[in-house]
Amino acid sequence: MVDPRGTGEAAGAGDDGAGRSADAFFFCLRLLGGRYAFEAPLVTEVVRLGPLTRLPAAPSFLPGVFTHRGEVLPVLDVGQLVGQSAVPIRASTRAAIVQCGPWKVAVVSEAVEGLVVVPRRALEPPPAESTGVAEFLSAIGRDRNGTVAILDLPRLVETARTRAVPAGSGAA
Amino acid sequence: MSQPTAEFLLFQVAFRVYAAAVRAVVRVGTIREASAEDLVADTILGRPFARDRGVVVSAERDGRERTLVVDRVLGVRSVPAADVHELPPLAAACLSSAAIAGFVTMDEAPLLIVDLPTLVRERLAAPATAA
Repeated sequence: MVDPRGTGEAAGAGDDGAGRSADAFFFCLRLLGGRYAFEAPLVTEVVRLGPLTRLPAAPSFLPGVFTHRGEVLPVLDVGQLVGQSAVPIRASTRAAIVQCGPWKVAVVSEAVEGLVVVPRRALEPPPAESTGVAEFLSAIGRDRNGTVAILDLPRLVETARTRAVPAGSGAA
Repeated sequence: MSQPTAEFLLFQVAFRVYAAAVRAVVRVGTIREASAEDLVADTILGRPFARDRGVVVSAERDGRERTLVVDRVLGVRSVPAADVHELPPLAAACLSSAAIAGFVTMDEAPLLIVDLPTLVRERLAAPATAA
């Protein structure tokens, strides 16, 4: 589990006494009926999804790909990955393009809230549950708009890769 | 100076149009020209509505020809190599088939590029499904 006080490092006003900003910066999406955020520096862009090209033989959490500025990007549905309902994909659906190590992916959302600032002292460890989306939480934070669940997005994307059946493994 | 191009055969299975490298295609014909055991239908691309057109490929090491059953063959298109894209790395890592080779942008829309020999080989290796 990631140290909840070690995420979203960014320069900001104040210091927590350990040389870090007193505030943590996250990028917040509405997903699964709640507020979910991840480290803001992972986000490169927010886009409205264009027409989606569905991929045969793709897991349900990868509903398709779309073209953005000449680049073909996969779309990740966090809801499907954690065994919950799919995020509805419409012409108005927006996604955050994130770069998690070698993987560039568009995380589809119900709505984009944008940058949120959470005081580090308001970050708490996630619940001990290890099922569903709770498995991927690194912290729970609170800001003036309420509770926000902090996702360990790199781990979530890596899990997506490992949960999929790779080509050549015998499945067709 | 002319830019490099790639040639693709466009074909339709059910509602979707796909592209395949022309060099992978032996010929296009009707399925009546092939024996029943050499026909390949019901792949990851779906099941064709009509069983009429066939794309013949050489999918096995011994050179045996197999006929992929499709609904329509739309012809051959030559596209700039710059419009040919690999699968995004995460998509490539997650697909359960190696037959989806990438995309080609045609009329501003991405079309899936299908590796026909791999598609046929994977279908032949898969357990038989109920008709």
